[in-house]
Amino acid sequence: MRNSNEIIDDIANKEYEFGFTTDIEMDIAPVGLNEDTIRFISAKKQEPEWLLEWRLKGFAAFKKMKFPNWQHFKMPELDLQKLSYYAAPKEKKKLNSLDEVDPELLATFDKLGISLKEQKVLAGVAVDVVFDSVSVATTYRAKLEELGIIFCSFGEAVKHHPELVKKYLGTVVPHSDNIFAALNAAVFSDGSFVYIPKGVRSPMELSTYFRINAENTGQFERTLIIADESAYVSYLEGCTAPKRDENQLHAAVVELVALDHGEIKYSTVQNWYPGDKDGNGGIFNFVTKRGICKGNSSKISWTQVETGSAITWKYPSVILQGDNSEGEFYSVAVTRNKQIADTGTKIYHLGKNTRSRIISKGISAGHSDNTYRGLVQVGPRAANARNYTQCDSLLIGDRCGAHTFPYIESRNSTATVEHEATTSKIGEDQIFYLNQRGIETEKAVALIVNGYAKEVLNQLPMEFAVEAQKLLSITLEGSVG
Amino acid sequence: MLTIKNLHAEVDGKKILKGINLEIKRGEMHAIMGPNGSGKSSLSSVLAGRENYTVTEGEVIFEGKNLLDLSPENRAREGIFLAFQYPVEIPGVSNLNFLKTALNEIRTYHGLAPIEAKEFLKLTKEKQQLVDFNANLMNRSLNEGFSGGEKKRNEVFQLAMLDPKLAILDETDSGLDIDALRIVAAGVNKLRSADKAFMVITHYQRLLDYIVPDFVHVLYDGRIVKTGNKELALELEEKGYDWLKEEVHQKESV
Amino acid sequence: MTSDKSFFDFISNGLPGPELREDADNAILPARQLAFSRFRALGLPSVKTEEWRYTNIQRFLKDSFSLAQEEGTITAEQLKTVNTKIPQLDSYTAVLVNGRLQIALSKLPAEGKITISKLSDAANNTQLQLWFDKHPHLQQQPFAALNAALFADGLFIEAGQNASLDKPLHIIHIYTTAENAFIQPRHLLVLHKGATLEIVESSVGMNETAIAFVNSVTEIILEENAELWHYNLQSSEKNSRHIYHTSTVQKADSRYHHFNFTLPSAELTRNNLSVALTGSNTETNLHGLYLATDEQHVDNHTFVDHLVPNCNSNELYKGVLLDNSNGVFTGKIHVHQDAQKTNAFQQNNNLLMSEKASINSQPQLEIYADDVKCSHGFTVGRFSEESLFYLRSRGIGEEAAKTLLVNAFAFDITDQVHIPALQDFLSEKIRKYVSGAINN
Repeated sequence: MRNSNEIIDDIANKEYEFGFTTDIEMDIAPVGLNEDTIRFISAKKQEPEWLLEWRLKGFAAFKKMKFPNWQHFKMPELDLQKLSYYAAPKEKKKLNSLDEVDPELLATFDKLGISLKEQKVLAGVAVDVVFDSVSVATTYRAKLEELGIIFCSFGEAVKHHPELVKKYLGTVVPHSDNIFAALNAAVFSDGSFVYIPKGVRSPMELSTYFRINAENTGQFERTLIIADESAYVSYLEGCTAPKRDENQLHAAVVELVALDHGEIKYSTVQNWYPGDKDGNGGIFNFVTKRGICKGNSSKISWTQVETGSAITWKYPSVILQGDNSEGEFYSVAVTRNKQIADTGTKIYHLGKNTRSRIISKGISAGHSDNTYRGLVQVGPRAANARNYTQCDSLLIGDRCGAHTFPYIESRNSTATVEHEATTSKIGEDQIFYLNQRGIETEKAVALIVNGYAKEVLNQLPMEFAVEAQKLLSITLEGSVG
Repeated sequence: MLTIKNLHAEVDGKKILKGINLEIKRGEMHAIMGPNGSGKSSLSSVLAGRENYTVTEGEVIFEGKNLLDLSPENRAREGIFLAFQYPVEIPGVSNLNFLKTALNEIRTYHGLAPIEAKEFLKLTKEKQQLVDFNANLMNRSLNEGFSGGEKKRNEVFQLAMLDPKLAILDETDSGLDIDALRIVAAGVNKLRSADKAFMVITHYQRLLDYIVPDFVHVLYDGRIVKTGNKELALELEEKGYDWLKEEVHQKESV
Repeated sequence: MTSDKSFFDFISNGLPGPELREDADNAILPARQLAFSRFRALGLPSVKTEEWRYTNIQRFLKDSFSLAQEEGTITAEQLKTVNTKIPQLDSYTAVLVNGRLQIALSKLPAEGKITISKLSDAANNTQLQLWFDKHPHLQQQPFAALNAALFADGLFIEAGQNASLDKPLHIIHIYTTAENAFIQPRHLLVLHKGATLEIVESSVGMNETAIAFVNSVTEIILEENAELWHYNLQSSEKNSRHIYHTSTVQKADSRYHHFNFTLPSAELTRNNLSVALTGSNTETNLHGLYLATDEQHVDNHTFVDHLVPNCNSNELYKGVLLDNSNGVFTGKIHVHQDAQKTNAFQQNNNLLMSEKASINSQPQLEIYADDVKCSHGFTVGRFSEESLFYLRSRGIGEEAAKTLLVNAFAFDITDQVHIPALQDFLSEKIRKYVSGAINN
């Protein structure tokens, strides 16, 4: 049997499997960030005046802000002036069906194992593809339209449903929320928009596959999902980026709004390019995701499987404003090589009888650093609020770090908050047991890690869970002896 | 001693008791039986003063006092004891300290001086033996890590120590094997006396083999639908509750 | 300085002259100057400083304070009126007024292997020169730096090899001042190889109108196989404010048992407790109980630094927050890359007993070694209604029942106290404050 160091070296040297670029002609904004860039983007997208103004407000806020310093990693040097803020595949005409999508683009998705056609046939998943910021294909739209469900690119929503966009845009993540959210407000390119009308349960999972393709472009998509009264939607987001030597910034914003008895389930499998074993290249995944349970008895649930990115820095949050509303956060974050993850959630209990549940599983290998950071805040009005948090960290090898930094603030004596966290290494006796039963170490680790992450993986819709499991196994293949 | 008149009560807006009438005199042993969800345990909770129950109608007179006006502790001090179906565990509170506190609070209420330490230990020893309660459990935290049987025996031991006028035993037989049941029943029988009354709530007739009741009441849908003597319990054992339910529904449809 | 100048103005003007330090000896003057420039560089913290996000310290520094630390001697008669007596506690005593040891009022053990003196009298002691302001965790603390620059005096205790006392040493800190004052005592305890000590500290104030702001530093060195039982009782008058730093270095095989009890009524108590484990096979037990009433703000910051392999640390802090009080707990366990086979546990539980009380907690794990067992936990809640009802149904009144439950809640801590007299004293205090708050 190989010793643990050899196996750890192995994983450190493992190639990123999804690193390939697609050769498509791009329409790219000139490098740099100023008001002209913003006007260029807005004009390109033929936006109404109010949206341009909102962008400019975001830019004004951005200019006043500095990078934060509380995170558990050294902030990389980011020159936001050197990025290009808009990249769209040059399309000659509007697309009506999948058949019209650039075959090379479709082939990219085939390589990713998410062939649209296949999904269309097998899984019944409606997919909105964001390819370097612009939505190029939406499937199943007709079927959803029958139910009154709006599922389209953000740009289309601005054109066709301006009243909804105007009503909810920036209500959960304001244009001045944080420096990256402000940047996004100023330069966001596209993203997805979902509206589920009163009383409607979306009959299928809605899915977007994000992929960063062009060099030196930041991806600034913006997603807005609204579940009206008693509506339900499960939304899936997958992310992959090609291999590059430079770092790329991804500063997306996701806003979720659930009205009375509305429910939104948002699942992410994030596999952006993590950089090479020495920490060169890779995505900076600085995303602001927040949902508000505005209505009574509403529910928002975040599930994330984070295996990629050089730095993952995000806290999908829930504001529990409505009485009896419920928030959930389920997370698996895997880091290896020199990857960094500083992720977790923020839950704000404002309404009465609000409940929340946080399950976080961190797995660190190589020279990586993996941090859970989370806030649970109970306001004075949140009578009988209840939170349960469980954070577990698993260390693979002795050169990585696993950290747990919860913040708990309770201002109501009738509230109950519980937090538990453990840190341990992968069990040698467990691996030995599996070895003894004829299972090789690589498989044993995959088995154990998948078992460890099961509580979170179980939250994913079936199609995604299988993919996520595969991803975990591939990422950690042979990492312990 | 206890008179319940037309007692109605609800929990979270749900009607649970719908007009209970019951009279209990000194020295009597009353058994309350009935199917699950008929309101048996709710009756005991209302009598002991559990706060999430709201009495919407009726009255309860205990020894000439309006019981429903009293706080839970004052009901206990007046002489009502509830042996819980699920006694709580309270880590950090020793059994002995707890009992001494309770005994002295009751004594103070009745204008008596706190019990002497020596006297208290003597009483503890005596009652321990009477109800066959393991002395090792005395210094442990209240019910913490006790087995189901040990918890129930602790309830009977407390009953012996606090010497109430009316003891309500809420499903004291649940979760006990036959040996434990015998010990608990023997303890209760030793505590029976001419000036003490008992209300025994049970789902099964089994317990009544050991604690013989003077009256058996059947509770169904929040009301007492039948009253008899111990023969009624045997009949229920044999035929179940269904025939009674039918009887009630027939009456209602007439 | 004159008291009409604010604290801020004063400290921005550079290291004050020797008239404020009163030690004629200049052996540690360079160290003081270094500390002062460190303080200047760190600056006064605000709520934007991560370590102070839940304690707005500037609010408590608004008043003007004198930095001239009066002698504030008291008489034996006055001492009797000070509420520091722990009934039935058989101990030696060391009485300190504003940080200065009062030999006449103290009952110190006979001279032997254990030295107890003023810190100023130990200026030439090699231990002081070896350890003064060296603790790594004090380097980043602005108030510890300020203390190093300006402290007046304190206690020096040195226990020789295998030394021990036949009974505990009770250190009584009394703070008395006629005008608002910033009082800065500094203490050093060195236990040499195999020494064992049991120390009880009580802090009280004797001020009716003036505000005593106490900024205290205690450095503790446990050499190989030394053992220290360290009880700290904090109960001062309402208008007093306290920042305590306790920094301990543990060498191989040493054992440190720290107990911190913060009781009413000082309006501010901030404890910075840090332990650096620099030798293997150590044992560290940190216990804390904070019971706060009125507008009290109690902030406990603890830091256990596992630098070497095979050390065990265990931390349990419990809070009972009454009235409008505000609790803060920040506990960090840091396990360095080489600290394999570390066992480190931390737990913080809180009872909020009033609608206006609040708690902010940050239990933290920062771990860089893989073969470790580390965990932390946090809870906040109220009493179990079921337990309260059970007790009431046995005839125990609401007040007595709540007192019983608070004592039960604190039991995990009080049960670990090895001095029965202190155990009884604490139970009685809990009873008094809980029933006081309920009857308010």
